[in-house]
Amino acid sequence: MTGERRAIGLEAVKMRKVFGGLVALDDVSLKVPAGTFHALLGENGAGKSTLVKCIMGFYKPDGGQVLVDGRQSAIANPREAAEAGIGMVYQHFTLVPSLTGAENLVVSRPRGRQIIDWKAEHAALEEFLARMPFRAPLDKPVHMLSAGEKQKLEILKQLFLDQRFIILDEPTSVLTPDEADEVLGLLRGMTKRGDVTVLMITHKFREVQAFADDLTVLRKGGYAGAGKVAETPVDAMAKMMIGDTQIRERAARVAQKDAPVTLDIAGVCADADDGRVAIDGINLKIHAGEIVGIAGVSGNGQSALVEVLSGQRPMREGQLTIKGSDFIPSRQSMAKYKVFGLPEEPLKNAAVPNMTVAENIAFRTFDQPPIATLGWWLSAGPMRKRAQELIARYRVKTPSADAPIAALSGGNVQRAVLARELSGEVDVLIVANPCFGLDFASVEEIRAQIMDQRNRGAAVLLVSEDLDEILSLSDRVAVMSEGKIAYVEEIAKTDRATIGHHMAGHGH
Amino acid sequence: MTDITSPQSASTHGIFDSDWMIRVRRGSEALAIPLAALLVSALLFSIFLLALGKSPAQFFQLVWLGGFGTAFSWSNTLLRAAPVMLTALAVAIPARLGLTMIGGEGALVLGGFTAAAIAIPLIGSGAPLFMHILMFAGALAVGAAWVGLAGALRQFRGVNETISTLLLSYIAIAIMNFFVEGALRDPADPNKPSTKALESAEMIGKLPGIDVHWGLAFAVVACVAVYILMFRTTFGFACKIAGGNARAALAQGLPVGRLVIVATLIAGACAGMAGYFEVAAVHGKANASLATGYGFTGILVAFLARQHPLAIMPVAILFGGIAAAGGIIQRRMGLPDATVLLLQGMTFVVLLASETFYGRLAIFNPKARTERT
Amino acid sequence: MDAGLALSTVIAAMLGGAIRVTTPFLFVALGEMLTERSGRINLGLEGTLVLGAMTAYAFSYGTGSPWIGVLAAGCFGFLMGTLHATICRLPGVNDIAVGIALMLFGTGVAFFFGKPYIQPTAPRLPSISLGAWTGDPRFEQALQINPLFLIGIALAIFLAWALKNTRMGLVLRVTGDSEAAARALGHPVMLIRLLATAVGGFFAGVGGAFLSLYYPGSWNEGLSSGQGLMAVALVIFARWDPIRCLYAALLFGAAGALGPALQSIGVTQGYYFFNAAPYILTLFLMIGSAGSKKALRDAPGELSLTR
Repeated sequence: MTGERRAIGLEAVKMRKVFGGLVALDDVSLKVPAGTFHALLGENGAGKSTLVKCIMGFYKPDGGQVLVDGRQSAIANPREAAEAGIGMVYQHFTLVPSLTGAENLVVSRPRGRQIIDWKAEHAALEEFLARMPFRAPLDKPVHMLSAGEKQKLEILKQLFLDQRFIILDEPTSVLTPDEADEVLGLLRGMTKRGDVTVLMITHKFREVQAFADDLTVLRKGGYAGAGKVAETPVDAMAKMMIGDTQIRERAARVAQKDAPVTLDIAGVCADADDGRVAIDGINLKIHAGEIVGIAGVSGNGQSALVEVLSGQRPMREGQLTIKGSDFIPSRQSMAKYKVFGLPEEPLKNAAVPNMTVAENIAFRTFDQPPIATLGWWLSAGPMRKRAQELIARYRVKTPSADAPIAALSGGNVQRAVLARELSGEVDVLIVANPCFGLDFASVEEIRAQIMDQRNRGAAVLLVSEDLDEILSLSDRVAVMSEGKIAYVEEIAKTDRATIGHHMAGHGH
Repeated sequence: MTDITSPQSASTHGIFDSDWMIRVRRGSEALAIPLAALLVSALLFSIFLLALGKSPAQFFQLVWLGGFGTAFSWSNTLLRAAPVMLTALAVAIPARLGLTMIGGEGALVLGGFTAAAIAIPLIGSGAPLFMHILMFAGALAVGAAWVGLAGALRQFRGVNETISTLLLSYIAIAIMNFFVEGALRDPADPNKPSTKALESAEMIGKLPGIDVHWGLAFAVVACVAVYILMFRTTFGFACKIAGGNARAALAQGLPVGRLVIVATLIAGACAGMAGYFEVAAVHGKANASLATGYGFTGILVAFLARQHPLAIMPVAILFGGIAAAGGIIQRRMGLPDATVLLLQGMTFVVLLASETFYGRLAIFNPKARTERT
Repeated sequence: MDAGLALSTVIAAMLGGAIRVTTPFLFVALGEMLTERSGRINLGLEGTLVLGAMTAYAFSYGTGSPWIGVLAAGCFGFLMGTLHATICRLPGVNDIAVGIALMLFGTGVAFFFGKPYIQPTAPRLPSISLGAWTGDPRFEQALQINPLFLIGIALAIFLAWALKNTRMGLVLRVTGDSEAAARALGHPVMLIRLLATAVGGFFAGVGGAFLSLYYPGSWNEGLSSGQGLMAVALVIFARWDPIRCLYAALLFGAAGALGPALQSIGVTQGYYFFNAAPYILTLFLMIGSAGSKKALRDAPGELSLTR
């Protein structure tokens, strides 16, 4: 590669984007000088993604302009962004799973010969890797790589394409804390040497403080503040991010003494869809009035565990016991033992998108009186009446009980599910990333509800990729790594670093 | 992105009138879009006829005449509509579970063949009621097993149900041919290879007052019964959940596998019933004329009716009428008999293209969702 | 007839039959493989096959050149593929249902316009004799090979190479495996799928031309009975690999030739049963391969078939 580019600077001036009647981006400006590491902060829905997608040419902004190295640039699509030297690493990897690392790199090049000379390409790739501060395997299909390797390969891809302004969208959400520190540290080094400029979307203050030079904060589609990281304390960042939103108080943690075991997971094994072992001999006891948080890098078997408990995945081996009796996740036993769940991405796991809100709320009760007569005749009237009560009680914002649930925002879908699952008595609650992709206020409310169930005596299993969520809610924490429980400890006797090491699969 | 913290977030205002309006709007959308698709296909077909130098006006006049103009054409139409209603149900019931099953033709043929085979030793035995009960039960059981097999393969082996049902249709026709041209061929029949025919006195009779056999009444009752089962019972509700999102259904502890099996069994029984009436009331025997495409017309009818059992009835009558008019169109306009098939294919293509308008037309969806990331 | 002679007659007839029967399977399977590699499924190739058979026959009859017939069949297949892709690019439209509709539509068009061509005889495709060395007239007859069979084999090898070693091949795989990735790279996903579906339709049309212009070698309404559909199933069994598509097509050809081969030595019992053999084989192969973890791993990520 000849004529290697150096870091480039970028400035976005008064960017504006309107979807329908909704102002998603309201005259936001952002300045990232060449060779700096810039953090873009904001909660979900603040407009961070919209801003970078406008910069990248995914969206056509309704106003404003982008200056690259001080020159005005019209970027109409991602390909033009690439030509201008701007590349993006997405939160969900855009590497192609069935292609090898080398194939991914070669195909990502905007231009190339129609017939690929693999011998020459491999030699060139080796030579390229030799100049890079880190490596990633190139000969294996990407679906066989670990999350950290994939993330490195994504970044290598941008450098291979000679992109010198790299946008990272929540780059560490799939990494262990140690992997995250390694990758961000390497990038930090490259910005210091003036090789690249980095713009990182994040909501993790810790990473901002450790690696970024400057920050810009967005809130509800508007500019909320900017500054040097060194001069901005964490509580100032938080205030800029959240504003003066009122947050419902979370119920205080009620101490539980000598509570009996409610849910006993013994020697549970299950396979993934492709036949590989997903979970391998999980043993865990959860007491009444206790939240056990399961930490781990995504893809280490947590979702398989939740699926086994909620009946979505067959159990190959092992036994589930609730209050001393065998438990099979059938409808009858779920009702008998009062087992409920709050899954991640409710539209995918807990709701039927094209059914109405009222119908979705009736999923637990449609075969019981008053909705069902004689056990089989369905009455729409009582179903709608109950739904309207719960919609009001749980403040679900919907145009009507008869609107399809898919028309609701993410937070309101999760509230509708919450209303369905938590409005009765709960003995066992299975929760998985309940706040994924939700706004700040919904997050607090949902966490408060989970704590409330704990205080009323439910045994709660909380799987989360957000370590902060686990640290703030759990009584005990368990770490899953490669399908096994690698570590269990009471929350008071552990810390972030210890949990992080176990997540990475090297405990002490 | 939401403003749930604002005090008006609870949806307390105007729930009742807006509920009603939403239902009306969704209902009229489900009616208007297929109707528009029908009109567009009629228009396209007219252009096609004009290009061939034929008169579209004459074509539609003949459809009216041959399908709906006289009492005779009406009975012809209803005769064809009855099996189509049942094969359409065989598509619509699995569709409720999110399955695209198109094996009605096979279940009809095999059901009809079973009925004919059961009848062979009983023809002329003087116990027609006993014979018909056995024939009916046999046809339903075999039809149910045929589609239920595809349901089981889907559920337990992950075999794509669209391909397997179609394959099973080919296999069903081959099985019937194997027996009809071999072991069960009636040597006394001078025409094409067939099983032994029922005596005309043993055939199922006409409905009182019209010149159509009892199969029509059974088809109508089946449509209504399936409507009640799928829309008014807890079983139907559970099917809807499983069809809309199998993962969510499992998380609710619903026995998704059992629902799929039961629903596909019912679907197959409907198509098997159509086969029974074709044998017991129309042909009197099983032969190649059982496989005349009622199963495939049923697919189109079910899609056009938006898989709704009650809507299937009028749509089946419409296409029964078009099929009934096929002969007169062939004779008077010099068009080949494949004209009806072509019109059906064209309608199907236009109809599926029209699916893209659901949820996107402002009149039916006052607040169309805005794209947001 | 003694047993050894009967066996060699059956083998010769099956070999010949397999070579003849394989070709349409192979072309349709390669076409479907290409389409599915782009992330779409086209169940309508059965209709395309029938339409291809009719147009090939009509053009061969009209122009006197069977090769013009083959080209015309390919072009009509291309149009059918384009129609499928154009409808499927509309949001909210299900590609499987559109395939069913096009199956009926293609058959309808073919039967409508094919009526006048049932009687006349059109020039057929020539064949190449490759069996002279055996000195056995039965094998000589079996090894009368149609050039389309050889073109089909060459096409399978070429596609296997192109998917790995050309830019277009890689881009196609990207589109089929991850639409998001393809968009992020700035590739026109819908255009790529349109081209893949249209070219896949072209191949299926050529497969239809073989039916009417070589074996069985005439046009009638019962010409194809599910070959197009079986080829779709075959692609799953072949796990989206062109070379495995070739092997699978040969296997299907042999199964399809079983009935006629047995008939050639006078075994007529169960002729209709052996006619069903390919369907039953397909079903068993689907049962064996659909649930397999390997197939799931190799399936293009965007394919609705395996979801």
